[in-house]
Amino acid sequence: MVLDELTREFLIESQEGLDRMERCLTDLEERPHDTALLAEIFRAVHTIKGTTGFLGFKRLEKLAHAGENLLGLLREDKLSADGPIITSLLRLLDGLRSILKTIEAESSEGNGDDAVLIRRLEELQAPKSAQAKEHARVRAGAHQPAAAPAGSGAISAVATSPTATPPTAPSEHPLSAPTPATQAQEPAASPDLKAPAEAEGDAAKPRSQGAGSAAESTLRVDVEVLNRMMNLVGELVLTRNQVLQATSTDPTMTMLSRRLDMVTADLRESVMKARMQPVSNVFGKIPRIVRDLSQSLGRRVRLQMEGQDTELDKSLLEAIKDPLTHAVRNSLDHGIEPPSVRQAAGKDPEGTLKLRAVQEGSHVVIEVSDDGAGMAVEKIRQKAIERGVITPERAAHLPERELLQLVFLPGFSTAAAVTNVSGRGVGMDVVRTNVEKIGGKVELDSRAGKGTTLRLRIPLTLAIIPALIVRSVNQSFALPQGALSELVHIPPEQAAAAIEWIEDAPLYRLRGKLLPLVFLDRLLMPEVKHKVASERDSFIAVLDADGRRFGLVVDGLADPEEIVVKPLSAVLKGIGLYSGATVLGNAELALILDPGSIALRAGVAMSAEEDRARAAEGERKAEASESLEYLLVEVAGRQAAVPLADVLRIEQLPVSRIEYIGYRPVLNFEGHLLPVEDSGGVLAAAESNPEAQIVVVVCREGNRHVGIAVSHVLDVAAGGKLFEAGTSQLTEGVTLLKDRVTGVVDLGGVPPLPVQAPAPSEWNQMEEAAR
Amino acid sequence: MSTAGTAVNRKEKAATLVEMCSVRVGQTLFGIPITHILEIVGSARPQPVPLAPVFVGGLVHYRGDVLTTVSLRQLLGLPPKEGPQDILVLESTSGCFGLLVDSVGEVLTVSSADYEPNPSILDERRRALFAGAYKLKDSLMVMLDPERLEPMRLGATQGA
Repeated sequence: MVLDELTREFLIESQEGLDRMERCLTDLEERPHDTALLAEIFRAVHTIKGTTGFLGFKRLEKLAHAGENLLGLLREDKLSADGPIITSLLRLLDGLRSILKTIEAESSEGNGDDAVLIRRLEELQAPKSAQAKEHARVRAGAHQPAAAPAGSGAISAVATSPTATPPTAPSEHPLSAPTPATQAQEPAASPDLKAPAEAEGDAAKPRSQGAGSAAESTLRVDVEVLNRMMNLVGELVLTRNQVLQATSTDPTMTMLSRRLDMVTADLRESVMKARMQPVSNVFGKIPRIVRDLSQSLGRRVRLQMEGQDTELDKSLLEAIKDPLTHAVRNSLDHGIEPPSVRQAAGKDPEGTLKLRAVQEGSHVVIEVSDDGAGMAVEKIRQKAIERGVITPERAAHLPERELLQLVFLPGFSTAAAVTNVSGRGVGMDVVRTNVEKIGGKVELDSRAGKGTTLRLRIPLTLAIIPALIVRSVNQSFALPQGALSELVHIPPEQAAAAIEWIEDAPLYRLRGKLLPLVFLDRLLMPEVKHKVASERDSFIAVLDADGRRFGLVVDGLADPEEIVVKPLSAVLKGIGLYSGATVLGNAELALILDPGSIALRAGVAMSAEEDRARAAEGERKAEASESLEYLLVEVAGRQAAVPLADVLRIEQLPVSRIEYIGYRPVLNFEGHLLPVEDSGGVLAAAESNPEAQIVVVVCREGNRHVGIAVSHVLDVAAGGKLFEAGTSQLTEGVTLLKDRVTGVVDLGGVPPLPVQAPAPSEWNQMEEAAR
Repeated sequence: MSTAGTAVNRKEKAATLVEMCSVRVGQTLFGIPITHILEIVGSARPQPVPLAPVFVGGLVHYRGDVLTTVSLRQLLGLPPKEGPQDILVLESTSGCFGLLVDSVGEVLTVSSADYEPNPSILDERRRALFAGAYKLKDSLMVMLDPERLEPMRLGATQGA
């Protein structure tokens, strides 16, 4: 349908107005007398009404008019916005939206019937006759019975769910009702008093006035244009690289090319910035979802949102909308318990759902956390066995953290019953697939009885991703860093021993576990005879793609690069191994490998399935069973153990990288400050030689990260339990590693950094938790 | 004599003139209507794509996009050519692609009067690729239609 310019502009503007209205409505529930909020809502509806009259959309005008009358009363403080009123206003919002959608699709309003809704909106205005002193009591009585006969779906839902939104607003009312005058006199209200003046003006005018100052400084741009700009900037970057190379010997050109370099970098940044939008665009929808769900599920939920102005590329923002909604639904349905259950468990009957967005380096982390029941690890274990994802033997030995990850497998759901909201078993796997599709990662943390945190790590932009450039079949390929977990170098003389074979399946022992290998050259050119590993250097890129773990063997590694992703033609996409192509800094083209498809093509199975197969073969690792795995380290001549589950990464660096705050050693790691524990005196010993290399084991401790300075990392081993002689009580802080009694490093004992220090985000979180 | 001359003139007037870019692959001279050509990129080295269908000549970088090229040589089953090749950037209804040829020659103006459809002795594959021929003074020029060379279409008809 072709819409004229005026109608299209009206649609966009109205949509925006309604989005704002939705946000305000949920806020209004908490602050029913906030005049600024009311004015904003009124303005959105009024603008629609005014313009529709002008454009001749009668149905829309009628509906908006009914809403406007009710809102007028609210704004004049003749009514107070209680639960039923807000529910009806939300219905109004949905009604207006659906008409707008019809207009967009068919350029007419359609012929739905809004009579029920309009009548409901009118009924709610009823108490306006009862003014003066009886005002409050009459209304409080009048609303509740009015709700039942009206009988529209959402309204009866409110009436039948007694736990949802206790009528806080009416109970407050006797206090606020006698003082409408003082409210109106508040200075905050004064700018909004202009709104009614506009309202009384002619119908066509307010629209242009409403657009006002914002329209002068902002401009709507088609996303297509931005995409094209991004492409061209990528091209410019490439041309710049070539110019820089060509002019490097000519001194007269150096100044010019350096300037070109700078301008290009700035331009690239600006174009990327133009594509950024605050996450509030997605967060803004959440309060409504939480409100509706908590009503229909009978939960009481307080929603907290943080970091709403964190920015993310537009296309990524679109992509996380569904996973985020899903996570919120999950939290409400499975996480936060009904108030009675919470009370019985000694918790605040009102649950807390927290949404938090924060930028960490080149990623944005979005957290959805609740203080609900958490995930019952036992339930997951049982379900996993029931569904046959894992064998009972294996399940008994799997550490908690790994068990939690099982919920990401397709068709896994722990909800006791299938509910309307979630629990059909198409939950977490969809979240993970969607997030991984855009190069992000999902992490799950849960404590039974305490709550669940889902963490989405999203790259800042989709168009530019960090990648490792690898060489194979005399070509360069880009391997997205997101899937890469580590790299192993195998020199030719060790190849025969390091790569083992079962028939023609190559395997590598990575810390004692067999890792299936995929030779990239054989995969890409099966018909050619390739050099065997003992004739050349090989590199194993250990990849983790959609739960499939394997090693990709390549001939060489080049530097990591930030690559600009270019789409491939359909014919080449059809091959299935490449997710795109890119132009490298040296103007060479490189195909971007898709680790997930490579794993599939090579027949690498999900690790859980692999477990099943392994157990079926009767190949069990009995020793590792009862115990945790530890990283065995040497600290100044002594051996110590760090729980492997807490180890994030191992860094080797010169001792000069360690800096001090007072006496406390810290490591500035990509802008994040890490406290370094040096109880063994490794730093002091290495101090004399600033070139000396030390090893820092970076661990997770609660929500923060800490570093442990060690001399060497020796091995990974399973720790055995030790019991105190006589009492037979389990000892703490010590474990049996490789038949030696080994002390376990106490990560919790690492004192936190002073709060005034340039604090990374983990610290803020710690602080809040403490409050 | 004069009547014969006017007859020829009339015939030429009815016929439309087409400008064709001539390209050479192996021994054969091909022609592509210049209206379908966006640009000619000289001496390029496309990046090969492992596991791609055999007619794909590789990828080239073209104005911020990565362009899939079709190798006319490989399409005709000729042995690969060493060294750089020329690329015609063609526009078809379903997007742009590159056509890899041995060398690009001059632009010739031909008359539709000199056109003849594909001769029947061509093998089936060539009959599907070629769009007839123009009779030049001392040689033949095989006409190519970008629509028939479009990678997606080739992928469907030629197989891998």
